[in-house]
Amino acid sequence: MDRRTFLKLSSLGGATAALSACDKSGKLRGQMIRFIPEERLVPGVAIWKTSLCRQCCSGCGLEVRVMEGEAVVTRHGQRGLMQMGLAKKLEGNPEHPVNRGKLCARGHAGLQVTYNPDRIRFPLRRTGPRGSGQYRQVGWDEAVTELSTRLGSISSQGKAGSVAFLTRALRDQRGVLVQRFLAAYGAPPAVRFEFFDDAVLRRANYLSFGRYQLPTFDLARANYVISFGADFLSTWNSVVAQNRGYGAMRQGRPGLRGKFVQVEARMSPTGANADEWVYAKPGSEGLLAVSLAQVMLSERLRPAEAAREAGARIEGWTQGLSDYSPEKVQDQTGVAAARIRRLARELAAHRPAVAIVAGVPLAQTNGLANALAVNALNALLDAVENPGGIFFTPRPPLAYLPSVEESSSAKSLAERILNNPVPIEALLVYEANPVFASPATWHVRETLEKIPFIASFGSFIDETSILADLILPDHSHLESWVDHVPESGSTTAVASVAAPAMLPLHHTRAMPDVLLDVAHRLGPKLDPVESALPWKSYQEMLQSAFEPLRNHAGSVKAQKADDFWSQVQQNGGWWSEQSDPPPKAPATAERSATVVKVAQPELDGDARDYPFNFLPYASQQFGDGSHANLPWMQEMPDVISTAMWSTWVEINPRTAERLSIRQGDLVEVRSQHGTLQAPALLAPGIAPDVVAMPVGQGHEQYGRYASGRGANPIKILCARVEPETGALAWAATRVNIRRVGTRGKLVLFGGALRESPRNYRYR
Amino acid sequence: MAPAKEQNQKAFRLKRRNWGMAVDEDRCTGCEACVVACHAENNIATVGEEQAARGRAMHWIRIERYYEGTFPDIKVKYQPVLCQQCDNAPCEAVCPTYASYHNAEGLNAQIYNRCIGTRYCANACPYEDRYFNFVNPAWDEPLNLQLNPDVSVRSVGIMEKCTFCIQRIRAAEINAEKEKRQLKDGEFNPACVQSCPTEALVFGDLDDPESRVSRLAKSNRAAKLLPDLGTKPKVTYLRRGSWYDEQNT
Amino acid sequence: MNKTPEQINEELLLPLNSTSWRYYLAVAALGMLVLVGFYAWGYQLDHGIGASGLDRPVFWGVYITDFVFWIGISHAGTLISAILRVSNAEWRRPVTRCAEAITVFSLLIAATFPVIHLGRPWLFFWLIPYPSERGIWPQFRSPLLWDFFALNTYLIGSFSFLLLPSFPDFALVRDRSEGWRRRLYGILSLGWRGTPKQWHRLEMAMRIMAVAIIPVAVSVHTIVSWDFAMALVPGWHSTIFGPYFVAGAIFSGIAALIIVMACVRKLLHLEEYLEPIHFDHLGKLLLAMSLIWFYFVFAESLTTWYGNQPSEMTVFWLTRSGSFSPLFWMMVICNAIIPVPILSIKRLRSKIGWTVLASIPIVIGMWLERFLIVVPSLEQNRLPYAYGTYTPSWVEIGITVASFAAMPLLYLLFVKAVPIISIWELKLGQHEKPAEVAAPVPAEEIVQGATASGR
Ligand SMILES: Nc1nc2c(c(=O)[nH]1)N[C@H]1C(S)=C(S)[C@@H](COP(=O)(O)OP(=O)(O)OC[C@H]3O[C@@H](n4cnc5c(=O)[nH]c(N)nc54)[C@H](O)[C@@H]3O)O[C@H]1N2
Ligand code: SF4
Ligand code: SF4
Ligand code: SF4
Ligand code: SF4
Ligand code: SF4
Repeated sequence: MDRRTFLKLSSLGGATAALSACDKSGKLRGQMIRFIPEERLVPGVAIWKTSLCRQCCSGCGLEVRVMEGEAVVTRHGQRGLMQMGLAKKLEGNPEHPVNRGKLCARGHAGLQVTYNPDRIRFPLRRTGPRGSGQYRQVGWDEAVTELSTRLGSISSQGKAGSVAFLTRALRDQRGVLVQRFLAAYGAPPAVRFEFFDDAVLRRANYLSFGRYQLPTFDLARANYVISFGADFLSTWNSVVAQNRGYGAMRQGRPGLRGKFVQVEARMSPTGANADEWVYAKPGSEGLLAVSLAQVMLSERLRPAEAAREAGARIEGWTQGLSDYSPEKVQDQTGVAAARIRRLARELAAHRPAVAIVAGVPLAQTNGLANALAVNALNALLDAVENPGGIFFTPRPPLAYLPSVEESSSAKSLAERILNNPVPIEALLVYEANPVFASPATWHVRETLEKIPFIASFGSFIDETSILADLILPDHSHLESWVDHVPESGSTTAVASVAAPAMLPLHHTRAMPDVLLDVAHRLGPKLDPVESALPWKSYQEMLQSAFEPLRNHAGSVKAQKADDFWSQVQQNGGWWSEQSDPPPKAPATAERSATVVKVAQPELDGDARDYPFNFLPYASQQFGDGSHANLPWMQEMPDVISTAMWSTWVEINPRTAERLSIRQGDLVEVRSQHGTLQAPALLAPGIAPDVVAMPVGQGHEQYGRYASGRGANPIKILCARVEPETGALAWAATRVNIRRVGTRGKLVLFGGALRESPRNYRYR
Repeated sequence: MAPAKEQNQKAFRLKRRNWGMAVDEDRCTGCEACVVACHAENNIATVGEEQAARGRAMHWIRIERYYEGTFPDIKVKYQPVLCQQCDNAPCEAVCPTYASYHNAEGLNAQIYNRCIGTRYCANACPYEDRYFNFVNPAWDEPLNLQLNPDVSVRSVGIMEKCTFCIQRIRAAEINAEKEKRQLKDGEFNPACVQSCPTEALVFGDLDDPESRVSRLAKSNRAAKLLPDLGTKPKVTYLRRGSWYDEQNT
Repeated sequence: MNKTPEQINEELLLPLNSTSWRYYLAVAALGMLVLVGFYAWGYQLDHGIGASGLDRPVFWGVYITDFVFWIGISHAGTLISAILRVSNAEWRRPVTRCAEAITVFSLLIAATFPVIHLGRPWLFFWLIPYPSERGIWPQFRSPLLWDFFALNTYLIGSFSFLLLPSFPDFALVRDRSEGWRRRLYGILSLGWRGTPKQWHRLEMAMRIMAVAIIPVAVSVHTIVSWDFAMALVPGWHSTIFGPYFVAGAIFSGIAALIIVMACVRKLLHLEEYLEPIHFDHLGKLLLAMSLIWFYFVFAESLTTWYGNQPSEMTVFWLTRSGSFSPLFWMMVICNAIIPVPILSIKRLRSKIGWTVLASIPIVIGMWLERFLIVVPSLEQNRLPYAYGTYTPSWVEIGITVASFAAMPLLYLLFVKAVPIISIWELKLGQHEKPAEVAAPVPAEEIVQGATASGR
């Protein structure tokens, strides 16, 4: 008798110990059946398993503390009690090159994804109207059969091209698997959607440096760091890696403390750390960057040729950028000419110096130019692939590599789903929530509602998955095989992988395994299914993907394939011994032809009717909103506002005074495309003509902790894009604000703003 | 008792430590990893929006944020504040039941079972780092499965606070004793220290002149929080450095 | 006042013997309020102390205010009556029991608050030093422990102080009643026969108690003040808190006594016993206390302001001009600006209505004073990031109202059981020759209602 049948027997017979304890609801736990444990652990003794963080795309390595415990689990559709290994705490994997044992707040809170009370516990079939949230529990067999039958019939009607797979960037074998599945089925590649998608920066890096990739910063060895709008210590890119470097930049070298300058219009958690915080008008950062370059060139602080290819992307570079002298840009940027000169001299004198750009400067109609300008500045400072500068993480020699998405989220969603002339017959959604994370003017929900069949692999009911006809819930990352190829955060090639840290709690299945199952059921209908998807399980696929690494000098050395595979899992992955930069894309005619003029952005809305530039920002707690269902994140005070469980509109105190708005007053924010209401937060670090709002709250559907809380700033954004990449210019909206009167819900953890009030009465 | 056995017992004694921490304000970026790490390690309850709005949220370590100046010449200071493990702890003398007491290693320990909830200690603590369970903490199932079995779950009506992750200290000491060896500097860390990506938090033995923490405590940037109160905190703050143009030239 | 002993007996025992419907109505109304308080407390026991408005950083609020306030009120009694006894002030005679009863009841009420306030009130007995199998004792360094002892000593002391001079009166009631009442008062009077030996012992005991209770009373409120002064909290850590609290306590105590006396006088028709002269005397005392109170507030404010220490000044401005300023200035108005002129003018002071008018704001003002000591300092303790605010919840308000209802309720019940004016002392004061009063009385005579002095 194998374990499976044994389990079945034991559960069917219910021949298990009756317990006298009651659970919270007063229901007798004794009425529940008790499953035979599938693993044996010593009670009270912790074991550590490697895993990977999936709370953002940095891919930090995890160590999971697993201890024996008693959980209510679902097995074969039946709920019962089981002694099992439970993940108790997440720590960073000390060996992992990206995070070296460290973890960010969101990474820790990943534990609450697994144990979230709102997780979907079994496959669901919609019974009520779309969006009603009425579902009935179905078995996996029924669910997978339905999905494959649907796909089968669409393909037999010759409409395979009208199936869309909507997901976020999957920098792992899941991405490979999805692409292969779609190719074999005859559908176009997956539609990648993320609100903060960095498409502009990737494009700029491709144009400037030949690398379609986000950079890695060697902050630990930098003497001078200037960041243009990048919240790199809190939300942007590989946060843990960047924080590690930052700490070392500050105090890691005796006698040498790097300077950090932040340029932005709303003081971010990162900007709050700056030695010098420079206000610049949103969207004018590129002008500032080229002006810094102009000073260096005109004062011969740096040789013009140093900028090479990156300089060539900027109009007027070879002529010494004479149009961008500090005096000429000071009014456009809001930064005094003398200050620009001083900063330029400091940068040139204190190399290694590095410039970082992300966030608001790139989310403009001139975003690409801003990025190219900062890239050129980096090149001029000789910061590219030099110590203390920017690097590009090499790609590991895996058997298959996930592709890096070529088009922006906004563009692919628009072209493939929203404005696709061929109507979509079936939509598969995985880890993407465009209904939440898109401007109202896109009408995403309305478009999706018209799609005849939607299947979701979601773990939660959110604004998008509630439209699904069929929900096939995924395991959590701690319950799955996980792998990852970091795009940045390491100067050596990394391929992470780990086995499940614990058994699944619920009646869920890993998406890749479901997809493989569907592929095999579709079998003959798939174009060469055998060669495209030859694996029986995702685990098998991972092993074959990692196999070639055995022959490369790296962190795991093993002769035998099996030894190699088990060691790679134990270590949490493989990392290369060499740190050669990845090969550059060859210079193409297209690239050399691109020359941009750095100018002012175009904002949406007339400055008289809409006097404030509206800046949404990735929140420290929720990122793009996907962590809003985690109680630890909801209750973690945002470090700047100290707010918990809230949304807010950041307003300069002087502006607020002018508009008779007090702290906590409910404020209406109106753009040309919609309005929202949120409480006012008087923030000393925001420009008087700017209002800002964190992204992440305002969920209509996202479990008990997130639903119906706060407002979603994305909804009122204009649909302007950066023209070349088609990326949403999410910082290009102008708004109007007014006090609505009633008190808003603003829960603050912190009391006074100032440590030593000049006037004791100040609060 | 057999003399051999006696000998054996005498032979090894674990050195008593004087645990302390250094908090480098120059490194701390306000990322709050420490805040969530502490929640996860120490079974700190989330109280929910309504209770949080009423001032009952519990964060054993918090990142205080202070502004200086006005826009655009504005600066912010982040200051992680946790229990300072005062050697002369105002919270201890006032506790009528010894629930707040000084343990043998000089830590301010909190005996949850002994606390009757007078909240006197919390008034007395000048660092405001004692948190009270105003309502019975609850974990929506199955969030209860995340609870750390090494740390007792507190109930309504009792005071709690940063313990320097005493369960980790004990575990390390028991382990070292078992292996008959002294603890090494940095061998283990409290949860916040372990996570802190900038290494702004450093934990160790203040009596060991070689330990990182004791060297940092002697740094010329070192200062104590509210030093004039005479509480003798075991947490040292390292002030932010400043950047001078001459420094690197 | 010139009455025959029999008249005195009749008039002062009247409340014990006849009860009007108004009495029942009043008891029912007050009882309802007290029940609301119990409901609120039950609710708090069920929901946790979170049912109050307390939070971080304001861990102490209305309950502690109530505690300090009622302890203050308790100083009316024992202390006043002891001082008056020791100084042999003749006018004290109709006043003492009235005052001593206030003490006992307000202490009983006060003693509930530390328990109500606990996070785990069911474990309140851990404050009691009892030998346990684990050898765990409470910590004697904690001012809360000192409180425990001080409060208990004071409670026992003041209870005895009330009880001792009641024995002759109990005996009087015993001798004038039948059935179960006779038996009950027989027990209560502990076999009082009025023998010279008994009179002598009573007098000795009263003399000792009167002297002993004064330091106890002073120490109690000093220790209560140390609950605050011992903590390193700005606005609390003050050396004058001891005398300041004691002065405030006597101040509020006298005001409460005046109000209670006026009520008792009206309701029990004791106009001829509690005369304007009594109110005039108490009014003078009240005036003195008001000035002393003001002196302390001034001294405390001036030194704080002059010292200009940031954390102290934060609290200073919070009360003087910040969110607590309405309460602060209302306190000053209630405690000084209204009563001082009224009490300074002899013509007003000698009118009972006016002294009561001066006393009511003082009771309110002293409650506010306690509140202003407890709360603002906690709202803005040292680290500005931890500043917070506090608003009491309905539970706290309900329990506070109940405590204010409990006082008259207990009083109403008390006057049904015990003559509110010490009959024998009054008679003693009327008589030229106290020695005669003390003459032994045959038991039979007492039974007939004729007392020694009524012969
Ligand atoms: N299933 C089962 N349950 C039991 C029992 C059993 O036999 N079986 N036994 C029962 C009995 S007899 C007992 S006594 C209880 C014990 O139950 P608990 O009181 O929960 O005892 P411990 O497991 O010792 O956990 C105490 C916690 O205190 C921490 N700690 C250690 N030192 C200190 C300190 O100085 N200060 C603070 N604040 N924390 C400290 C430890 O890390 C740990 O988290 O369990 C009872 N429950
Ligand atoms: S940066 Fe944070 S959320 Fe992202 S992978 Fe690393 S630990 Fe996870
Ligand atoms: S910081 Fe506060 S809680 Fe910690 S030991 Fe000092 S006084 Fe006690
Ligand atoms: S709340 Fe608990 S720990 Fe604090 S003083 Fe009271 S009994 Fe002691
Ligand atoms: S030392 Fe431990 S208990 Fe204290 S703040 Fe850090 S993680 Fe929390
Ligand atoms: S984890 Fe470290 S850097 Fe982050 S907030 Fe805490 S102390 Fe600061």
